[in-house]
Amino acid sequence: MIDTENLTRKFGDLTAVDNVSLHVDEGEVFGFLGPNGAGKTTTVRMLCCLIGKSGGQAKIGDYTVDNEDDCLKIRKIVGLLPENVGLYDSLSAYRNLDFYGRLYEVSDRKRQENIERLLRLLGIWERREDAVGNFSKGTKQKIAIARALIHEPQVLFLDEPTANLDPEAAKTVRDFILELKKEKTTIFLNTHNLDEAERLCDRIGILKTKLIAVDSPKNLERSLYNRKTIVHLDRVSDAVLAFVRNLDVVKNVKVSDSKLILDMDNPERDNPEVVRAIVQAGGNIQYVTELRSTLEDVYLKLIREASTQ
Amino acid sequence: MRLWKSWIVTRKDLSVFRKNKYVLYSLVAMPIILGVVLPVIFIFAFNAQMSVLPANQVLAGVNQVISLSTMYFVLIPAILPSIIASYSFVGEKIEKSLEPLLATPTTDGELLLGKSLAAFIPCMVVTYVGAAISASIIDFWSYTSPRIGVLLIPNSYWLLVIGVVAPLACIMSVEANIIVSSRVNDIRAAQQIGGLVVLPLIFVVIFASVSAQTSMLLALGVTVVLAVADVALFYLSREIFQREEILTKWK
Repeated sequence: MIDTENLTRKFGDLTAVDNVSLHVDEGEVFGFLGPNGAGKTTTVRMLCCLIGKSGGQAKIGDYTVDNEDDCLKIRKIVGLLPENVGLYDSLSAYRNLDFYGRLYEVSDRKRQENIERLLRLLGIWERREDAVGNFSKGTKQKIAIARALIHEPQVLFLDEPTANLDPEAAKTVRDFILELKKEKTTIFLNTHNLDEAERLCDRIGILKTKLIAVDSPKNLERSLYNRKTIVHLDRVSDAVLAFVRNLDVVKNVKVSDSKLILDMDNPERDNPEVVRAIVQAGGNIQYVTELRSTLEDVYLKLIREASTQ
Repeated sequence: MRLWKSWIVTRKDLSVFRKNKYVLYSLVAMPIILGVVLPVIFIFAFNAQMSVLPANQVLAGVNQVISLSTMYFVLIPAILPSIIASYSFVGEKIEKSLEPLLATPTTDGELLLGKSLAAFIPCMVVTYVGAAISASIIDFWSYTSPRIGVLLIPNSYWLLVIGVVAPLACIMSVEANIIVSSRVNDIRAAQQIGGLVVLPLIFVVIFASVSAQTSMLLALGVTVVLAVADVALFYLSREIFQREEILTKWK
């Protein structure tokens, strides 16, 4: 649904986005992680045809970004939630959505249906005639998301959708994104909330001007330490240690207090064999866990590496 | 260009302006001051001397009242856009609503036209309401005055100024103010810079007020100058309005 190849944007001498190549499937939730100034918003703006590119190619569906005719078509099939909600405070929630529905060329009937459906879904229908200026930040954010969805876009770009929201409002917004995910809307989510990215995204791209890594949250977490299994014993005897070292599936063994830290290629397949071997050698296993790095560990490592390059 | 798209933007802007008391009061105050208060002052001042003036000077005085009362209706549509149009893009920036607006399938030209109409329509409505009130007051005075006894307005000069010069002045002011509004970040700055556009027209009004005659030649000259300025500003505004620059340079 979204394809970029060496997408680049420069502002004078400053390169904001450098040769970013990525592919986002239809119905996928793709998270864009990166520190402030990494180029996330610039990338989204390029993909939404709000600003031009300095180099490379980008396509949304069948339409080419930067082609004047295609840009109007792209704007029709994408929805954008910018970092700032940008609603008209003096107008009602209904009037705000109605205005955008008209600009997105949604028919009268469909527009009324969509406004009612979205406002009911977000629990704002009863307050639809209230001026937006009277709403809380969280409610405004919900209305802004409804605005981005008023024309049933094929691709939804969300730029920091939970930034500056209190935990309750942020949860409401995240739950709503999960609902959209169930409906198979393609979502491109800019965030620096790692927990949010992990919970919502099928794949994550880590950006610091350049795209450093792209993978599923699970694979990114595993990439830091490879695959490690920790076996907690009451004590690690020499017999157990020797037995484990002789197993072909175990590539490396470390002992830490009463724990064995085992390096393996495929723990799901090999763990049962290892457990059986330890028990046969007389080891008393208390529990078996996986040594996991968090997305935060991976993110920080990759960003630091990118900074030193 | 799809006019209906521009009209959507216009209607939204008009709704926003309706809720803005500062804009609303400015729109109401201007025609009251220029349309009612000023003609009444002219008439009172003229009435005080009319009984002692010879007939030819009465005629000159009447012409001066018409000239002044009419030319002030060039100032109204030139001044009001500095209040309304300055809210146009700067207002969107303050509400941070420009990015979602630019993300809609709307062209630059459609947005510009929509914003321009939103400033033009209320200004001209207010101008015509003020002109109608002013004309009624002057006609009532002239018709009931024993030394005049006729309806003075509308005459060809009044029709030219109100029907042609005033809308052209309004278009010029709207375009200039929208250009300014899309280049600055502060409403007061937009209003102050945009207000400079009115200066040449103030000189014209001063010239008209010292002239004893209603000058068709002056009105025609102003018409031509304004028409040229309108066309030039239209192309300039299209050149200057760059959505990318507005998005990336506005802080």
